[in-house]
Amino acid sequence: MSGTKPDILWAPHQVDRFVVCDSELSLYHVESTVNSELKAGSLRLSEDSAATLLSINSETPYMKCVAWYLNYDPECLLAVGQANGRVVLTSLGQDHNSKFKDLIGKEFVPKHARQCNTLAWNPLDSNWLAAGLDKHRADFSVLIWDICSKYTPDIVPLEKVRLSAGETETTLLVTKPLYELGQNDACLSLCWLPRDQKLLLAGMHRNLAIFDLRNTSQKMFVNTKAVQGVTVDPYFHDRVASFYEGQVAIWDLRKFEKPVLTLTEQPKPLTKVAWCPTRTGLLATLTRDSNIIRLYDMQHTPTPIGDETEPTIIERSVQPCDNYIASFAWHPTSQNRMIVVTPNRTMSDFTVFERISLAWSPITSLMWACGRHLYECAEEENDNSLEKDIATKMRLRALSRYGLDTEQVWRNHILAGNEDPQLKSLWYTLHFMKQYTEDMDQKSPGNKGSLVYAGIKSIVKSSLGVVESSRHNWSGLDKQTDTQNLNEERILALQLCGWIKKGMDVDVGPFLNSLVQEGEWERAAAVALFNLDIRRAIQILNEGASSGKGDLNLNVVAMALSGYTDEKNSLWREMCSTLRLQLNNPYLCVMFAFLTSEAGSYDGVLYENKVAVRDRVAFACKFLSDSQGSPLDVLKDERVQYWIENYRNLLDAWRFWHKRAEFDIHRSKLDPSSKPLAQVFVSCNFCGKSISYSCSTVPHQGRGFSQYGVSGSPTKSKVTSCPGCRKPLPRCALCLINMGTPVSSCPGGSKSDEKVDLSKDKKLAQFNNWFTWCHNCRHGGHAGHMLSWFRDHAECPVSACTCKCMQLDTTGNLVPAETVQP
Amino acid sequence: MFVARSIAADHKDLIHDVSFDFHGRRMATCSSDQSVKVWDKSESGDWHCTASWKTHSGSVWRVTWAHPEFGQVLASCSFDRTAAVWEEIVGESNDKLRGQSHWVKRTTLVDSRTSVTDVKFAPKHMGLMLATCSADGIVRVYEAPDVMNLSQWSLQHEISCKLSCSCISWNPSSSRAHPPMIAVGSDDSSPNAMAKAQIFEYNENTRKYAKAETLMTVTDPVHDIAFAPNLGRSFHILAIATKDVRIFTLKPVRKELTSSGGPTKFEIHIVAQFDNHNSQVWRVSWNITGTVLASSGDDGCVRLWKANYMDNWKCTGILKGNGSPVSGSSQQGSSNPPLGSNVPNLQNSLNGSSAGRKHS
Repeated sequence: MSGTKPDILWAPHQVDRFVVCDSELSLYHVESTVNSELKAGSLRLSEDSAATLLSINSETPYMKCVAWYLNYDPECLLAVGQANGRVVLTSLGQDHNSKFKDLIGKEFVPKHARQCNTLAWNPLDSNWLAAGLDKHRADFSVLIWDICSKYTPDIVPLEKVRLSAGETETTLLVTKPLYELGQNDACLSLCWLPRDQKLLLAGMHRNLAIFDLRNTSQKMFVNTKAVQGVTVDPYFHDRVASFYEGQVAIWDLRKFEKPVLTLTEQPKPLTKVAWCPTRTGLLATLTRDSNIIRLYDMQHTPTPIGDETEPTIIERSVQPCDNYIASFAWHPTSQNRMIVVTPNRTMSDFTVFERISLAWSPITSLMWACGRHLYECAEEENDNSLEKDIATKMRLRALSRYGLDTEQVWRNHILAGNEDPQLKSLWYTLHFMKQYTEDMDQKSPGNKGSLVYAGIKSIVKSSLGVVESSRHNWSGLDKQTDTQNLNEERILALQLCGWIKKGMDVDVGPFLNSLVQEGEWERAAAVALFNLDIRRAIQILNEGASSGKGDLNLNVVAMALSGYTDEKNSLWREMCSTLRLQLNNPYLCVMFAFLTSEAGSYDGVLYENKVAVRDRVAFACKFLSDSQGSPLDVLKDERVQYWIENYRNLLDAWRFWHKRAEFDIHRSKLDPSSKPLAQVFVSCNFCGKSISYSCSTVPHQGRGFSQYGVSGSPTKSKVTSCPGCRKPLPRCALCLINMGTPVSSCPGGSKSDEKVDLSKDKKLAQFNNWFTWCHNCRHGGHAGHMLSWFRDHAECPVSACTCKCMQLDTTGNLVPAETVQP
Repeated sequence: MFVARSIAADHKDLIHDVSFDFHGRRMATCSSDQSVKVWDKSESGDWHCTASWKTHSGSVWRVTWAHPEFGQVLASCSFDRTAAVWEEIVGESNDKLRGQSHWVKRTTLVDSRTSVTDVKFAPKHMGLMLATCSADGIVRVYEAPDVMNLSQWSLQHEISCKLSCSCISWNPSSSRAHPPMIAVGSDDSSPNAMAKAQIFEYNENTRKYAKAETLMTVTDPVHDIAFAPNLGRSFHILAIATKDVRIFTLKPVRKELTSSGGPTKFEIHIVAQFDNHNSQVWRVSWNITGTVLASSGDDGCVRLWKANYMDNWKCTGILKGNGSPVSGSSQQGSSNPPLGSNVPNLQNSLNGSSAGRKHS
């Protein structure tokens, strides 16, 4: 430690303690703050943890490196390497165990003073401590001390004042190391190899060396610049990382000739690299002046044996705090947990999450995988529906048969939850259109469906006569518009939009009254205005303001409205056209847009998205010339087909098959081409003709089912033989009676409900009587018999047939979502 | 509001991918433990692992389901340089009785010389087709001409992307106005300014995939790419996970305005760009309607993004990777309160959560 940049270490065994060291050693205790308040004097480390300072040790000046004793006992013994090369044992524990008391304060002194760069405790022989020193002429730079060694005869008692203990005590010096290695060299980093207690890897000056203590004359070495911070992967004992400047080298000790891999070079020099102790192949690196810990997730690194594979290394980074990070330490046991310290000694405790992969399920739940864990996350059911995403809304609407009420079309907005005014307006429009069509049908049957999907544009365009495109002549306040120049088609369109009632009456009065009754003052006023009845509009606004339910500001609006002037350059006009944009209500906004607009250009009204489409269409019908057309173009085209396909696909994904089928039925009424043809024909084994010959005149409604021959209807003759060749039809594998005969109750069947089923109205072809067969083994019989068989059996009822008929189709085993609680 | 709960996955190593089938009743996971697991959802909503088998001789990066009309079919891809197609069969064994199903390998696709990084089935209207991409920078499109025979796959197209590929996405649109299209992302991290996201489109005339667009603004490594479900839109939405979350819209310029025969030209707009993950974004996933995007990143959080009617995208939810809620008010871009959760902090009671939080 230079004294400026703190380092941080987790206790190897007491997992809630760590030490921060700069000029002194400070021991902290970590506590969870999940269920408790932050205690006075503790430092917050994260949202749910805090640290309390337990003790400070400032007895060892000139600290260069610190290593925590790896044994359980004594718990807080640390080795401190000093600038003069001495290694001092010191403690932060409050309870000084007498057994180890004589270890505390012990010093290990090299022959020549020089900086101690690194310390490493032997993981197996806990008393061995390796120290790496700078070079001093031909002296050794790697010294291995035995901390329990008997004091050598030449020990020199040294008087020292112990500040903390307040007592005078002799400190014993050890000068004879167990091993001396690395002669005439410098040692920058050290680590013991887990393969053998006596193997030591050292980053020397310009080479990495492996010393074997069994034979100290031998060493294995490789020349490299990457000699800093050697560290062994705890999960892969042959994999070693070291660094030089901004580059990390990964080595494989089995082929210790060159790095198997070098990681992307960082622009700034590295200060620390460390393998995650709780997870394989995760290397954390830190560079100078950085607030980012860069992580390398080594999913695959090249091996010296076997073929060349490209490495898969996922580069990640975490930013635990805003300040530069001085140092970090992995927690020894907590998964991917790390603590960092900044130069000003603020600390942060955090966990590196694994890369998360995620997927949405079609039913709007989100699944993600983080590490080895899976998490499922679903939208809460009781949520306010306004906040729900459209996917959820659509699903809930589909579930409530939204869009499938083709009789009372307007009811669909209630099926959708009755909370969206836009939807309400839409379905009412459709309702009016449908009603009109039905009226037309009564007048001229045979013209069915011509209007429903025709769209306003084609209705209006179907008029051959050209409507005069002059601005309606109105200057007075309540002058009625001349409705004569609205042709019949436009009136129809207005009817469809709900502005005017059916019949010859073209008065909007009833519509206005109904709007007023529903409290839609603004809309009513706008409609009145668009019908050029300013007086009525003002009156409606006044009513709204005085009703109590409406906004009092409506009076103000009414006042502004009454000031209307046709003068082009009037102040009124100028102010209204700018201030109208500040109005919140879209209808109020469009009223002023209308009043201030130039003749023939009503974009301010037509493109106000918040105004109901049908009001805008009605407006367009009233004021736009034919050439301007209307903003809607609801035509049956390819896009619509595509939308239908997508919607059907959604219903299928949600397993709303019944809804989809219902939708298809309604659709085929309008578009017979969408009706699928019969999909299955059964041909007679003997003559090859379709056995449905007898009922071929009746088009089949069913899809995928075969009900041929078994009508069960007393009015039709029973068919037990091929209508072509009169040969008998196959027998049911269970009752062994020819198909087409009335089915008897299941042999030995205790299912009384089936009997009840059979006693039901026999005029309907019952499903129990239907032909079924397995497409795989081609055995089959009456559907009812087959179903009851497979309730208890997996294999086909035909002897010696091992076909698992019912399990062949996984989708077939899915239950429609409508029948179960979603 | 979203609520998270944990499922015991029992994978021996990191899970790399999660994938749902068409109905959302089945799920597949794949892992560095070289296995794939298939999960079935019970009527009560719980997930049960019904199959787990060793699929590859290396980490399995991705797993994906085919549309059920092709059967119960999975594809996986791996570091072992292969992709494989799997089919569930009802065998002679009594697996089903033990609640286990049996999956057999139908084919191994061995064309790649390097790690196969992604595999995706084409939209079903194109038939049984799948695309793979690999670290050697090649996208391969395979087709099973006979849907009844899953062991026969022919390599139809090889598209060279020049850069190591990390992810692909098919454009899901089945509209006839939209030719088949694949977006490819590259995680090449070498310091060059090349664009890392490309879009290839099938040309009916040449019967080849040709590059339609390069997203020039995406120059950092791309980790995931996803077209939003189309649902009838005339344009496409593409999400990209790179050093931030990006959402692009691609509006096809009408054919008559471009030279006929060539690839479609697009008006490309970036509609959202969020760096709330602070660092790398790993995955993006669209919900079924393409209205909510979920993303995950190195801040260890899952974030949800949604557009309002003005097409302004916003963060609508954040959850930590372990399912616990994110507390504190330092989240940017979030107008909603943090997501609730009833899950206890599963990893460790001392879990830090300040990971990657930016206080700006």
